[in-house]
Amino acid sequence: MNEILESVRKDPSYLSLWSAYKKIQDLDLKAPEDDTNTVRLAVIGSTTLEPLAACVDIKTRLEGFHVETFVGGFNTYRQEILNKSSDLYKVKRDVIILSIDAWSILDKMFLSNFVRMSEKDRQATQKELVEDILSIVSNLESTTSALVLVNNLVVPVFTPLGVVDNKQKIGLRRFFEGANILLAEKLEKNSRIFLVDLDAVAGAFGKTRITNWNTWYRGSIPFSDEFTPILADEYVRYIRAMKGRTKKCIVVDLDNTLWGGIIGEDGIEGIKLGNTSPGIEYVEFQRSLLSLYNRGIILAVCSKNNPDDALRVFREHPSQVLKEDHFAAMRINWQNKAANIEELAKEINIGLDSMVFLDDNPVERAQVSQVHPEILVVDMPKNPRLYREMIESLNVFDVLSITSEDIARGEMYVGKRKRTELERSATSIEDFLRTLDLKVRIKEVSDFDTPRVVQLIGKTNQFNLTTRRYSDVEVSNYRKSSDAAVYSMTVHDKFGDEGVVGVAIVKKKGGDWWIDSLLMSCRVIGRSVETAFLAKIVADARKAKATRIIGEYVPTKKNPPAADLYERHGFGMPTTSDAGVTSWILNLDEQTIDVPEWIELIEE
Amino acid sequence: MTDFDNKLLDILSRVFRIDQGEITDNLKRKDFEPWDSMAHLMLISEIENEFEIFFEDEEVVDIWTVGDLKKILNQKMSP
Repeated sequence: MNEILESVRKDPSYLSLWSAYKKIQDLDLKAPEDDTNTVRLAVIGSTTLEPLAACVDIKTRLEGFHVETFVGGFNTYRQEILNKSSDLYKVKRDVIILSIDAWSILDKMFLSNFVRMSEKDRQATQKELVEDILSIVSNLESTTSALVLVNNLVVPVFTPLGVVDNKQKIGLRRFFEGANILLAEKLEKNSRIFLVDLDAVAGAFGKTRITNWNTWYRGSIPFSDEFTPILADEYVRYIRAMKGRTKKCIVVDLDNTLWGGIIGEDGIEGIKLGNTSPGIEYVEFQRSLLSLYNRGIILAVCSKNNPDDALRVFREHPSQVLKEDHFAAMRINWQNKAANIEELAKEINIGLDSMVFLDDNPVERAQVSQVHPEILVVDMPKNPRLYREMIESLNVFDVLSITSEDIARGEMYVGKRKRTELERSATSIEDFLRTLDLKVRIKEVSDFDTPRVVQLIGKTNQFNLTTRRYSDVEVSNYRKSSDAAVYSMTVHDKFGDEGVVGVAIVKKKGGDWWIDSLLMSCRVIGRSVETAFLAKIVADARKAKATRIIGEYVPTKKNPPAADLYERHGFGMPTTSDAGVTSWILNLDEQTIDVPEWIELIEE
Repeated sequence: MTDFDNKLLDILSRVFRIDQGEITDNLKRKDFEPWDSMAHLMLISEIENEFEIFFEDEEVVDIWTVGDLKKILNQKMSP
C-alpha cells in the first residue's frame, strides 16, 4: 500500500493515479478502527466518473486517509439517489461528489436553437435547469448526512452569437453565468452542500483543454487526463477542510522573503521594498499574506538577524505592509530555525502540523523539514516575482465556514502576547488570573453558534478529551435530543473577546450525565476556564437531579494537555476499557466543582 | 529493446497492473480480467497521447490481444 502511494508521489500523472487506484481496489483493504481517518466517498453523476473518482481517492489517501470509494453508474445518479437500497446508501457516506454536466440536462437541441429562443424562453430554461440541480442536491441532503459537493456549470467558450453574445439580455454565456449565480445564492446558507467552482478551476486550467474529445466520444469521460487530477485537487480541498487538516499558521523568514536583500548588510535604505520593481513583488507578496491574516491565518517570524535591524523595517520602512502587531510571535536571533519554530509553536500554542514555513534559503528549509517532517515546508520559487503566486495557489488554509472568530483571530493573538507579558510580571498564577477580569458565558448552543461549534469539534486537537468529530447533522441531532445537551463557552477578558472557544456534549442516561465530548481552543488553555465549564455542567446536572457525572478520556498523540482534567477536578474511580477509553466518575452526593473566584460566570 | 517498446510496455503494465515480464503478445482481452472496457479506453488514450497518433473506432474495437495492438501500432508508426 505504502509502496503504491510512494510511486504516485514520484509520478503523479493520471495513468499513475488510476493504476494506483485499481491496485488498491484489488487489495481489498479493511477499514482501520479509527474512524476519524476514514473517508467514505461516493462519486455520482451524468458521465463516466471512474477516472475522477480514482484521482480523488488516491489524492485523499496521499493525505493519510483510508478511503472507501463508490462510483455511480453512467448517468444513473437520479436512480441511485432515489432508490434507498442502491449501493450509494450501503454505507454512511462522508462525502458525495455530484458531477453534473449541464448539457446532459438541457435539451439536445439547446445549443442549436438558442439564438432563436425568446428571452422569456431562455429565462425559463435557465430557471428549470437550476431548479433541477437544486432538487437533486436537496434530495441528497435529506437522504444522507454526507457533505455534498456539486459543481457549478462551465460557462462555454463558444457562442453562436459571437462577439455580441453580451449585447443580449441573456446571451449564451450569461445563461450559464446567471445559472451559476442562482446556484450560489440558493446554496449560500447551506452548511452541507457546497458549490464547487468548476468554471473557475476550468478557466484557470484552460477551458479548451478540459475535455479530450476522443475519450469523450468513445467513453463519455468528461475531463481530459491533464485536467482530471487538477479537478481532483479541488475536491480534496473540501475533504481536508472537513477533516480539519487545515494549516493555521505561516512562519516567514525576513531577508529575501518578506523583502529583497539582507537588512544587516544593505540597511533600511538598501533593501528592496517599494512601489516599483525590484521591490514591488515583495510588497504584493506581503499584501497577499495580509489578506490571509485578515481571514484568520496566524503569522509568525523566524529569521536569522539582529532583532534591532529587523524590527526597524517593521517600524520605519514606509513600504512595509505587515507590522509587528500582525505577528503572533517572532523569533529573530541566530539560533537554528528548527528549534525556533518549535518555540514558536509552543508560544502560539498550535501543533507543528498546522504550520507552513516560507524561507528563500533551501538549506534552512531542508534543516526544518528534516527535524519537523510534519511542517509544510514550501519549495519556494527562486524568482521572488513568483512568491505571490506561490502563496495564492497553496490552497492549504481552507475551512468549511469562516466565523467571526476567524476574522478577529489576529487581534486575539496580540491580546495573547500582552497577556503573556502580564503573566511574566505577576507574582503567582492566581494573581495573574485575578487581574484578567475573566468573564465566561456558558449556554446551550444556539443556531447562531452552531457553525463555530462544528468547526471547533472538527479541528480541536490538544485540549480535547475524546476527539470525537461530529458533523453538522450530528450536532443538530444532539441539540434536538432530550437525552443530550450541547454547550458552548465564550471567554472574554480585559485584553479582548475570544468568542466561542469551548464545546461540551453531554449525554443523559438516567441519573448519569456522560460527558461525551469536552474540548477547548488552545487559545484559552491556562486560564482555568475549563473549571468554570465543568462547574456549570455540575450545576445543571444537580438541577436535573442527576447523581453522577462520568467523564471520558481517549488518549491521542496530541491531547496530553487534557489528560489530567478529570483527576484534577476530583473525579475518581478511573476504569479503562479495552479500546483505551478511560472513564472517570464524579459522585454528586459527595463532591462538587465550583467556579473559580476570579471568573465571572454569565448564565442564560 | 527500443524506446518505443519500452514506452508501450510501461503503459501496458500500468494499465493492467502487472509486471512487464508478464506481458506477452498472446495476452487476450477476453481472458484477462483487468483488461475491462475502462482499461481498454485508458490504454488507447494513453497510447494516443504518448505516440501522438489517433485510432479509428473500428480499430479500437478490433484490438483483442497485445499482438493486435502492436501490429496496428507498427502500421501507424511506420512512415
